[in-house]
Amino acid sequence: MSVPDQGPPLVEVRGLTKRFPITRGVIIARARGAVHAVEDVSFAVARGQTLGIVGESGSGKTTTARMIVRLIDPTSGSIYLDGADITHVTGADLRALRRRVQIVFQDPSGSLNPRQTAGQIVGAPLRVHRVPGDRRERVAELLAQVGLSPEHASRYPHEFSGGQRQRIGIARALALAPELMILDEPVSALDVSVQAHVLNLLTDLQQQHGITYILISHDLGVIRHLSDRVAVMYLGRIVELADAGAIAAPAHPYTAALVSAAPVPPGGPTRRRILLAGDPPSPITPPSGCAFHPRCPKARLISGDPQRVPERCRTERPDLATLPDGRSVACWFPLAAGDDLVGAALAMAGPASGGSSPARLAKPAPQP
Amino acid sequence: MSAPLLEIEDLVVHFPTADGPVHAVDGLSMTVERGQTLGVVGESGSGKSVTFLAAMRLLDRAQPTISGRIALAGVDLLGLSHAEMRRVRGARIGMIFQDPLSALHPLLRVGDQIAETLRAHGKVGRRDAAAQAVAALRRVGIPNAEERARQYPHELSGGMRQRVMIAMALVLEPELLIADEPTTALDTTVEAQILDIIDDLRVRQGIGVVLVSHSLATVADVADTVVVMYAGRAVERGPCDAVFAHPLHPYTWGLLDSIPALDAERARLVPIPGAPPSQVDPPPGCRFAPRCAYRIDACTARLPELTERGGGHADACVLAVPGRTALRHRPGAGRTEAAA
Repeated sequence: MSVPDQGPPLVEVRGLTKRFPITRGVIIARARGAVHAVEDVSFAVARGQTLGIVGESGSGKTTTARMIVRLIDPTSGSIYLDGADITHVTGADLRALRRRVQIVFQDPSGSLNPRQTAGQIVGAPLRVHRVPGDRRERVAELLAQVGLSPEHASRYPHEFSGGQRQRIGIARALALAPELMILDEPVSALDVSVQAHVLNLLTDLQQQHGITYILISHDLGVIRHLSDRVAVMYLGRIVELADAGAIAAPAHPYTAALVSAAPVPPGGPTRRRILLAGDPPSPITPPSGCAFHPRCPKARLISGDPQRVPERCRTERPDLATLPDGRSVACWFPLAAGDDLVGAALAMAGPASGGSSPARLAKPAPQP
Repeated sequence: MSAPLLEIEDLVVHFPTADGPVHAVDGLSMTVERGQTLGVVGESGSGKSVTFLAAMRLLDRAQPTISGRIALAGVDLLGLSHAEMRRVRGARIGMIFQDPLSALHPLLRVGDQIAETLRAHGKVGRRDAAAQAVAALRRVGIPNAEERARQYPHELSGGMRQRVMIAMALVLEPELLIADEPTTALDTTVEAQILDIIDDLRVRQGIGVVLVSHSLATVADVADTVVVMYAGRAVERGPCDAVFAHPLHPYTWGLLDSIPALDAERARLVPIPGAPPSQVDPPPGCRFAPRCAYRIDACTARLPELTERGGGHADACVLAVPGRTALRHRPGAGRTEAAA
């Protein structure tokens, strides 16, 4: 599945930016600022491949996905599908686009109409787009493709389990045989054993139909399992873009923190957590320079002082730059072998963190 | 001090419904020791939350049929009066839930909510309570605690709210903390912070912790002992390392094989076939048998009890351990071999 990129990408975004204005005043709305939801995001996905987008809440991953489906309009930047600019298409062209690009949402009960049967839900895209042919037959076929049986067509969403509901959502997205499918947290509402069924289903569908996926998830394990390339987002920007196999050995300090905090697969070797101090900053007033600098342990290793950050990190924003190994990273000081981020993060947190805290970075923290 | 901190013995919780009683918990036993973390894992409907809601006596209004014993330091909680139970909740057992926003009062400042807990148990005056609330916030690593205490829940981030919940649960210095999915609603890096805080408080204050989670990995990270629940019963119990390094029960195998790993090469996941059984009319014999790839006739004949297999590691399976573990990853290979 890890075929190297070949030919023109199916989907490409360049400089994609979305700012949601914050307004004050009821009659005359005055702009008071903006939420910088997505800032200057660029990537390309080859046909039949999967791009995983990982990030925490507020990192802009869902906003990015919704712009690609054209559910919201970007503030600036462009989206290309098969080389054609689809950023501003409207009317009949937009309807045609909807047949090619579909989305599966996180919450299977919230995205299915409770008053419609599974058959009506899965058949709706066929009806709306006036697809010729026997609709009932096609619905039965779609249900079979996602592992449900034709009798399920007459049941209502509440009669299904969570996993089955998500299958209905996937069948609906498949109805128009899309080329690109956006999967927005497709399994995070599901139990582990159910999640595995849905992940296998998604793998099979991609192999059978050559669908291109953009997978949004906060779970690095899920991302790693389904993706060919992985984009890590922090506060609206991509901070690292790498092959899925390389993401467990990251170059960006934030990716390193995410990887270290990802719960370890039971039974495997234990990992030491990099405990980031504080919460992600506000996207209304993002920090100057590198947005990660207030929480970055690597910056403290460079300065040698848990309370100080190199001038450059505070003032200049690093762009995504390609490293010799093919990955891209937006960091002035990408990780090097032997960087003790765990110790640096502990030192940053200080005694209040509850962890044992060395006064200086030179003295690493004892093993917990 | 010989009695364990929390001891659950043969707990049964059945809820009456129009279709007949729902067997939410059906013969469950486990113990929590002081200064230790017990991890309880299971999927939705396995009875893990109901067990600890029963321990807190928070189910009374649903009028379930409860039998068995839930003893805190030797005293059976199920036999206490409502007034006595009120003195246990908060003061001796603290509890935190998955969603801190719905567990906090939206119109009260968080400092006042913590102070209210202290005042309700009649230990302190107004001013003292306020000061202790700030100190409690500081203990869970909230910066600018004085300022934060004057804020409302909506002004705080998810991680901060969960810290407030922990501060509130621990302000009366209970002996036991029950954390029911405390990090499920939180981001990965914040989850790490919260688990770290709970673990640090366990070490410093010597409290017993019950960590209820659907995530095996979360439990594997912090628990000393693990109980795996399925359909209202414990199917495996043992020291954390043993359970995850050498799992014994086919259901535990199924759970572990379902997790997509970050470091491993991408292989096809091996999900558990089928769905959990009906809780109104559970299957005969082992509850997991209908979905188990290693099933033999004896499985449906009787309900296996949790059986000690050495080193505190126990499981509830009809099959002999050596034959069974040799068959792992060869489902269906030895309906007869394993019976030996």
